[in-house]
Amino acid sequence: MSEFPFTLHSYPCAIIHFDGDAFFTSVEQSIHPYLKGQPVVTGKERGIIACASYEAKALGISRGLSLYEAIRMCPKLKVLPSDYETYSLYSKRMFDIARRYTPMVEEYSIDEGFADLTGLRRVHHASYEEIALRIQAEIQAELDITVSVGLSLTKSLAKLGSKYRKPRGFTAIPGTDIEGFLKQIPLEKVWGFGPNTVALLTKHGLRTVHDFAIRPEGWADRLMGKIGRELWGELRGTSLYPVTTEAKSSYCSISKCKTFTAPSTDPEFIWAKLVRNVESAFIKARRYRLRARQVSVMLRRQDYRQEGLEIRLSRAVSVTRDAMPAVREMFDQLIEQGAAYRATMVVLGKLEPDKEQQFDLFEDPVQIEKRQALSAAVDAVNEQYGKHTLSFAPSLFLNQGRQTARDEQPQRKSALIPGETRRQRLRIPRLFLKV
Amino acid sequence: MPRVMNVESHVANLRKFWRQERRLPGYGEMLELFGYQSKHAVFRALRKLEELGFLERKKGRAVATGKLTGTLRLLGAVQAGFPSPAEEELADTMSLDELLIRRPEATFMLTVQGDSMIAAGIIPGDMVLVEKGGTPKPNDIVVAQVDDEWTLKYYMKDREGVRLDPANSKYKSIRPKRSLVIGGIVKAVIRKYA
Repeated sequence: MSEFPFTLHSYPCAIIHFDGDAFFTSVEQSIHPYLKGQPVVTGKERGIIACASYEAKALGISRGLSLYEAIRMCPKLKVLPSDYETYSLYSKRMFDIARRYTPMVEEYSIDEGFADLTGLRRVHHASYEEIALRIQAEIQAELDITVSVGLSLTKSLAKLGSKYRKPRGFTAIPGTDIEGFLKQIPLEKVWGFGPNTVALLTKHGLRTVHDFAIRPEGWADRLMGKIGRELWGELRGTSLYPVTTEAKSSYCSISKCKTFTAPSTDPEFIWAKLVRNVESAFIKARRYRLRARQVSVMLRRQDYRQEGLEIRLSRAVSVTRDAMPAVREMFDQLIEQGAAYRATMVVLGKLEPDKEQQFDLFEDPVQIEKRQALSAAVDAVNEQYGKHTLSFAPSLFLNQGRQTARDEQPQRKSALIPGETRRQRLRIPRLFLKV
Repeated sequence: MPRVMNVESHVANLRKFWRQERRLPGYGEMLELFGYQSKHAVFRALRKLEELGFLERKKGRAVATGKLTGTLRLLGAVQAGFPSPAEEELADTMSLDELLIRRPEATFMLTVQGDSMIAAGIIPGDMVLVEKGGTPKPNDIVVAQVDDEWTLKYYMKDREGVRLDPANSKYKSIRPKRSLVIGGIVKAVIRKYA
């Protein structure tokens, strides 16, 4: 056990983590102000709850629950289709507000981010707590959504802080308070401690995060390796994970997953859905000039059990057609006749820059180049006439499934402003009020 | 009739090629790209593009400049040290967005359905830009929730307190009895004719 205090300073670094409270439903309540104070959920288009407002959570409704179940629990529940376009607009604005105070803002996900405030007290004539509270207040005043904020010395501690009080919470953990704070936090709250790690640590008699942080550094290293050592440092107030500002430009893997509105037993339809996902994934890969050496396919059954397979390709590919035989092979092995499926997923892994190319001894480079030319032509057509205008023949079976009904589209897409099209809408959130 | 070189389309074609390939096309590829029959025509086109600053010659090879690839965002294309006079003048202009929207993060759009502000020039179907987070001043047009009812009105203050005035003689002024929530202040009206 180390008896030394973690740090003697309150803020050698100051990092905040801000986290939207029930983000999707808060945004819906912001653009539909008459829904405030009511139980609201999103996810109508896929039959599963994607996000539940605090009012709905109070009634026992949570993310992942089926809509059918939720409406039985609460007949007055307001169910909305997901409007990712508006959520993204709000997300961008939330980060822009944080950028008024510091250029070091990390867009960690659509509803949470980090900001490094170190050294900015003088510029803003305010303490770190005051700057954090101002960001929180401006987001609330201008976007009409609430965020919870944690302020501390490292990203891991700031994230523990923002989760500590929610919604609309603010928790500051200066260096001198770290030990007292960690004594109250159970191990599973730490960002990076999964169920297995928690089980392992519990076996060693650990209960709180403080128990972990007071072990010697070598102990964490021996038990959990590099990650353990880093988290040990982060939790003691040594910032090891920097706030990274650049937008995501490199991907380790690309995945596409689509749930169908009604589960299907028709193999042709499920295959068509999978092919569409494969096409979308490769379009994204080509946009970022990447090619994939590994493809995995997963099918999710009606009861949420899922099965998957993974294939290593003999050559990294960026042309959709080159991966199709492998995908078909996996699909045929996975699909069980008569079983109902609700989602297909494809993951492209082992991505590498799509530059020079090395051919296999038994391949026909002429054929490959022809397919590349064809693929480029298809991309050019789709760029001009809309994504998936030209697509693989199985897409003919796509329309056999239930079409997304008009009331399952967000208002933004169903009530267009004159001049807006199905493909392009104004880059500004719309309020839906009858005035 | 002498054939006029279409520099604009050449540049557009080269840019498209650059976006896809991250390199300049070779002579053969340019034949096809520019729609020429002879390599001499390509040569003349290249010389022209070089003159205009889209290309540079380095060790006998054509190299794309920032003007072609668009990696450099300069004020105009600096030619012989001076920005183009037109671009310099345009540096002090703003877009319609910038004119209408003062605080981009706090601005929302709302389609008006009612006729309560008709005399203020806001008719059903108009779009209004609403700014959240500010404090309204008298005579501002606000989106407000008065006793649970959402409405678009003039914000007024008198000795009795806050009053919301319509701009339509069909309706009366209202005073909040239990609650008043300001949803935002109207900063602009947009009407688009087909």
